[in-house]
Amino acid sequence: MYHLRRGWAELKNEIFVLPSRTLVLLWVLALLALPLVYDDAYVLRILTMTCIFAMFAASWDMLAGYTGQVNFGHALFFGAGAYTSALLSKDLGVSPWLTIWAGAAVAALVGWGVGYLCLRLRGSYLSLATLAFPLIVLGLLFAFPGFSGGELGISPVRRLVLTPTQNYYVAAVAMLVVVFGLWLIADSKFGIVLHAIRDDEVAARASGINTPRYKLAVFALSAAAAGLAGALFAHYLRVAGPSTLEVALSFQVVIWGIFGGVATIYGPVAAVFLLYPLTEWLGSFRAFGEMRLLIFAVIVLLVLLFMPRGLAPWVRDKIETQCPRCKQRNRAWQRLCRLCGAPLKAGASQAKVPRAERLVGHQ
Amino acid sequence: MLQDILITGLVNSGVYALLAIGFSLIFGVARIVNIAHTAFYMLAAYCFYALLVKTGLGFAAAAVISVVAVTALSVLCYRLVIEPVREHEAAVLIATIALALIFQELMLLSFGGHYLGIPSTLEGSARFFGVSIPYQRLLILVVAAAMLGAVWFLLYRTRLGLAIRATANDLEVANLMGMNVHRVAMVTVAISVALAAVAGVVVAPVFVVDPFMWLAPLVTMLAIVVLGGLGSMKGSLIGALVIGYVEAITVFALPAGAYLKGAVALLIMVAVLLARPEGLFGVAFEEER
Amino acid sequence: MLRSALLACALAFAAPLALAQVTIKIGVLGPMTQPQGEYHWYGAEMARDDINKAGGINVGGKKMQIELVRADTNEHQSIPDATNAIERVITRDKVDFLVGGFRSEAVLAMQEVAADYKKIFLGAGSAHPQLAQRVEKDYERYKYWFRITPVNSTDLGKTLVGVLGSVAAQIRKELNKPTPKIAILAEKAIWNEPIIKALPPVFQKMKMEVVGTWQPSALATDVTAELAAIDRAGTDIVFTLLSGPVGITVGRQMGERNMKAVAFGINVEAQKEEFWQAAAGKANYVSTLDTYAEVEMTPKSIPFVRAFKSRFGKPPTYTAGTHDAIYLLKEAIETAGTTDAQKLIPVMEKMSYTGAGGVIEFTKGHDPIWGPGKSTGIAVQWQDGKKVAFWPPQVKGMQPFKLPSH
Repeated sequence: MYHLRRGWAELKNEIFVLPSRTLVLLWVLALLALPLVYDDAYVLRILTMTCIFAMFAASWDMLAGYTGQVNFGHALFFGAGAYTSALLSKDLGVSPWLTIWAGAAVAALVGWGVGYLCLRLRGSYLSLATLAFPLIVLGLLFAFPGFSGGELGISPVRRLVLTPTQNYYVAAVAMLVVVFGLWLIADSKFGIVLHAIRDDEVAARASGINTPRYKLAVFALSAAAAGLAGALFAHYLRVAGPSTLEVALSFQVVIWGIFGGVATIYGPVAAVFLLYPLTEWLGSFRAFGEMRLLIFAVIVLLVLLFMPRGLAPWVRDKIETQCPRCKQRNRAWQRLCRLCGAPLKAGASQAKVPRAERLVGHQ
Repeated sequence: MLQDILITGLVNSGVYALLAIGFSLIFGVARIVNIAHTAFYMLAAYCFYALLVKTGLGFAAAAVISVVAVTALSVLCYRLVIEPVREHEAAVLIATIALALIFQELMLLSFGGHYLGIPSTLEGSARFFGVSIPYQRLLILVVAAAMLGAVWFLLYRTRLGLAIRATANDLEVANLMGMNVHRVAMVTVAISVALAAVAGVVVAPVFVVDPFMWLAPLVTMLAIVVLGGLGSMKGSLIGALVIGYVEAITVFALPAGAYLKGAVALLIMVAVLLARPEGLFGVAFEEER
Repeated sequence: MLRSALLACALAFAAPLALAQVTIKIGVLGPMTQPQGEYHWYGAEMARDDINKAGGINVGGKKMQIELVRADTNEHQSIPDATNAIERVITRDKVDFLVGGFRSEAVLAMQEVAADYKKIFLGAGSAHPQLAQRVEKDYERYKYWFRITPVNSTDLGKTLVGVLGSVAAQIRKELNKPTPKIAILAEKAIWNEPIIKALPPVFQKMKMEVVGTWQPSALATDVTAELAAIDRAGTDIVFTLLSGPVGITVGRQMGERNMKAVAFGINVEAQKEEFWQAAAGKANYVSTLDTYAEVEMTPKSIPFVRAFKSRFGKPPTYTAGTHDAIYLLKEAIETAGTTDAQKLIPVMEKMSYTGAGGVIEFTKGHDPIWGPGKSTGIAVQWQDGKKVAFWPPQVKGMQPFKLPSH
């Protein structure tokens, strides 16, 4: 009983106070409850792919948003995870439930390697150098077709689970765990250090932070998440081919990341959930289905003009405001800050003293 | 075989140099990584094709119209799409990617996914030291050299060039000195895309034209520009030579590995970056504090 | 009076509705923005219109019309798009059969979805042997896949050897060269690996000297380096194994260099009508294997090519094999008397269907059986802007092969 009441108090004080958190909760519930209500195999397939790509996009944001290392070759990690998991499960007969972790581990190693090579590079040099790595690996894959399957890739790859609903849950749960994990990391002290590195690496080093170690760690972490997404992708489609390393995929994740809002983690996830089903839905129309990439690009451009910082920050700014005194976020329609009582907008009345609300945890 | 490598390498470098100078210029001045650079090159190629084949205009007229049209389009795109989001580097980046995708899809819808061939401006080939070079390739070399010369002249011998170099050096001070930095940026964009358009008109007859033709040169061009150092004309030229020769050597030395020439070029780029993180002649942009 | 008129109107509306329910739905999967997908659709459209006009398919006494569902797989850009498309047409549009497919990586993934839903999938684009190997290894799961065109790439090797024999003989006679020099120019890909490995000993047995093997990328836009080296070696035959746009580049640059060698082999781009224009009119003498031409491989070949040309303005390429696929399906359904996949498969396995490209009978892996009188494909050469068929020489309509004249 105590736990129920405490749970309810947590909900009321932590989640419902902010519209953005409420939205997230609703989204999680909707995601988990969907197959119970609507189990159309096609819709489940779209959402499974969305979850996988959302994981991928969130991992990119971790790297690009938080440490400022804008990675133009993120597909390398995706492909590394896909190929590793496919090869291990097909050639060595290991169970896919184990190989996906191996895929993530190998991707992390690759990420560490790439990060190491890019340690001294800055800004655009780093971005363009990262563009090169997947292409070099593609060349290598074609050079050893017996091992990698050349332009065909590896197939058939063993299934993780069989039915569309099971696949959906695997992808959705994995995505939720990974995304929340990344978000928690980004929101912790580790995340603050990353922000510092992005804003001014020299100052961070002068403060005694071992920046190379952090940069490498983030590369490895981000790559691991991307690798996991890639492994799940391979086991779902049952093919792990060179399309997982394409430039187009790297560009796609950059678009999702920036469109959703860098340095948020949830921004790119929202972008994927919005854009991927939308483009798929557009593609199903016989009349203009073949124009869907065009429509996608136009939408991206238009939205960018109105929301240059990305979708999620714009939406968040509309539904929440930041208190000028204590920097806490509040609902936009509130007049006084929920923590310190300061007026949120100029001219709000000082007469009412708000009920002090108990805060559990951090901001 | 040595003559083959020397001459093939030189000829290939000409193509790359033409694309690289434009990109380097716009990055050096406006600090925009213009992913759509080769997409403009593609647009010019399609425009040239349409004018040549569908309306039967002469080469010169079609070329001039294509270059002017694409340059005008680029200025329009800059005003509409890039300028509003100039402060947000990330937004500019995906804006250029989105533009490139839009151009690709428009070409796909208008011309279809077929491969198209543009007739060469100059037919026939010449023999140099036993190596046969088509006249079109020589034309490319000549045009590349001419463009390089023109850009150098513009940058170092005219007032506009002075303004461009000044804004490249320090945007805020240039602004304070009374230069219209917005106009300078726009002019730079125009010049840069004009160079890409010239490349499209001269180079496209040598390659096949299709809506996805902008991706491969993009990667090679980025490799060259990074290798030479972003923002450095000299660097781009040397980078073009390096990559052109690396590719030629790869194909001649390793016939069965000819498909690797792209990967090898990229490896060289990575190697150079490891040794010199700003490229060979790169300009290190100090972070504004 | 009014009531009977109303009844007549109602019936007039109801009748097509009633008919509309009894259709056989066939999903046409292909990259619709690309030429390959276009031809998928054209071939299927023509088949549908001809069959429906003739009354439809007779399913155990009931006449059913064909309804096509067009699905853009966007294979060139995205594999998940292809699997989404096939899932959509199966679960949303509820198709009964599937035809098409082109990019091998995508077809492998789509094959999985078709196998999951136990829908018959007739391939008309990918030549990859692995698709058939799957059927042999795991018959119960993959038996729903049948390949209609093209002949798989390993069998294409057999055709190549056949044609090469006659080309080499012509070179020996006309150029007075007892051992013609042959250079292998093959794109780096896995589909031609077995052919590249098997060729050199075969060439030696045919008394030809192999001067070297060059492997550019399938997307290479420049092969001057390769051609310069090939030229230097005094080559007579450039043996091509190309499926990507590099085929156009090879044709054009060989023409621009005025090379003495003749190009023969597999050059998929050279099978298309647009090839001549794409190579800016320079690709004279380029020859390749092909599937359809106005020659009498079977009694149906010439009528099919002519009808296709007059309806769509250009001759068919092998992805228009969807036409044969649908007709084959019709024959199978009418023989079996049902549209049930489980009953159709044994019927199809035993069928001998005369198509427009050859006679189609299936191997254990559901590939078309290779052999003279069955499916071999033909060989064509570009001569002054026209694609001319020259092999098998004994078939009516074939013209002589031409060597570059200098």
